[in-house]
Amino acid sequence: MNKPCTNRLIILLVIGFCCISLVLPFSLAMLWSLVDPGHPWSYPHILPPVLSLQRWVDIWTTTSLPQALLHSYLLAPCVALCSVLLALPTAYAFGRLEFPGKQAAQLISLLPLIVPSFVVALFFSSLLNVLGIYSRFLGILIGQTVLFIPYAIRILSVSFSLIRQEIIDATRDLGGGPITVFKTAYLPVLKPGLLASIIMIFILSIEEFAIAFVVGSPDFVTVPTILYSYLGYNFIRSNAAVVSLILVVPNIFLMLLMERFLKARNTAVITGKG
Amino acid sequence: MNKQTLLAYCLLLPGLGLIIVFIFVIISMALAQSVGYFNFSGSSKFTWQFWQQILADNQLSRAFFYSLKIATISAILSVSFAYPLALWLRDPFRGAQFVSSLLKAPLLVHGLVAAFLYVNFISFNGFLNQIFVHLGLVSRPIRMQNDSYGIGVIILQVWKQMPFALLLLTGAVQSIGHDITDAAKDLGAGAWTRFVKIILPLTLKALQAALIIIFIGAAGDYSFQVVAGPISVSSLSQLMLRIQANDANGWNLSATVAILLMLTALIGSALLALITQQVIKWGAKR
Repeated sequence: MNKPCTNRLIILLVIGFCCISLVLPFSLAMLWSLVDPGHPWSYPHILPPVLSLQRWVDIWTTTSLPQALLHSYLLAPCVALCSVLLALPTAYAFGRLEFPGKQAAQLISLLPLIVPSFVVALFFSSLLNVLGIYSRFLGILIGQTVLFIPYAIRILSVSFSLIRQEIIDATRDLGGGPITVFKTAYLPVLKPGLLASIIMIFILSIEEFAIAFVVGSPDFVTVPTILYSYLGYNFIRSNAAVVSLILVVPNIFLMLLMERFLKARNTAVITGKG
Repeated sequence: MNKQTLLAYCLLLPGLGLIIVFIFVIISMALAQSVGYFNFSGSSKFTWQFWQQILADNQLSRAFFYSLKIATISAILSVSFAYPLALWLRDPFRGAQFVSSLLKAPLLVHGLVAAFLYVNFISFNGFLNQIFVHLGLVSRPIRMQNDSYGIGVIILQVWKQMPFALLLLTGAVQSIGHDITDAAKDLGAGAWTRFVKIILPLTLKALQAALIIIFIGAAGDYSFQVVAGPISVSSLSQLMLRIQANDANGWNLSATVAILLMLTALIGSALLALITQQVIKWGAKR
């Protein structure tokens, strides 16, 4: 069998599959979000008869979407900041210190990832009841923060382990105080990892559904919970299409940004300059 | 204990310490509520009543077997699709980077959005039905949404989780040296023999990790099930939330379901990993 030829065939198959499973559904969502409310899109119309931005205007002015966006985008930076700050000491210990039980500790730090998210969410909300914390915002903030610490620990401990002892020593030998050492040896290597983990947790927080749904419902809405309300029993297709796009598009750009920071880390490793 | 060790343990407190306390308290909370403590209404005292009630409920056993089925099939299908792709992407070729990022794109799509896109695609009034009708394959649209076997949920799980398995397996497959597969080739081993006797045993750890994580995720699934799953049967998460909201002893009963769900996820994924290991060992020895 001709190898390059089969390879090309497989590439075409994969691209074809991605078109059907990714491009087509997203295009349909885009179309559905643009269907004019006065001209329904149904059989036998292959394409929507009239396109307009009316749905976007309607959903913005008549639903709690602006509020959901506000909640989500207020929560996310707070969660990201808290998680990263709390993760820093642990990441330092994992990245730069040797101590008995380190491997076990690293494994345990992944614990939140293996407990089913809705179990965590439900009994976290029951814990909030017992503790008397009734602020939805604070409740979700605490829950998401703890849940996302493992991600920050993982990214940041790699960053800490990349800091080169020679540079720390050299800075000290040249008479640099703790602040100078931090600025010249630590910060340049840590920065991409810090930015990457902040963006990562920002995205995770925006997308988090279990805690936001269980703790927040019914009165505290975030973007995923509002999307959920348009799915299921009262399936409102055009609204769901609009919210889906609002949820997915910004995060893809953020993800690309994060990849750039993580790539920048590689050059810092190779050159040792950062 | 020397000074550095002490320092390290202190540093672990705000991050790791918090995680341990959080998870420990939550699991204890579920355990306590399942045997009658922390009642928000009425008196709190020790009782097995809720366990007896839930274990006698046939909704539970149906949800249990359903979640087990979805999780096992999703995990196995995801890795079965990921393996050939990982092997194919092992040798660099023009466009490999593009193809691999295309394959990983579902990782960027939120679960609920994926569920919406899928339901929108297959719904009674959806694109697929329109195409079928226009092509003359069927005379009237067919009902595919919320199918009673959970096929929709499995499709969504595999679509969303396969890239994750691919991520883990690509790394593992790429770390196998070419000398070893070339040597096997020179000794006359065909592609299948090389896969069973070399690739599978050497990528066992990554395979197990992928199976475990996908299994746990799918066993605890709520969103896919509610949007695209069968209406006649619930997943364990769905049952847990429904009981909590609707039953007079909601918290206690849902706590028992929560514990069963955690046990299912842990024991089920461990068993799956163990069986996989045995099968691969057996295949390699044969």
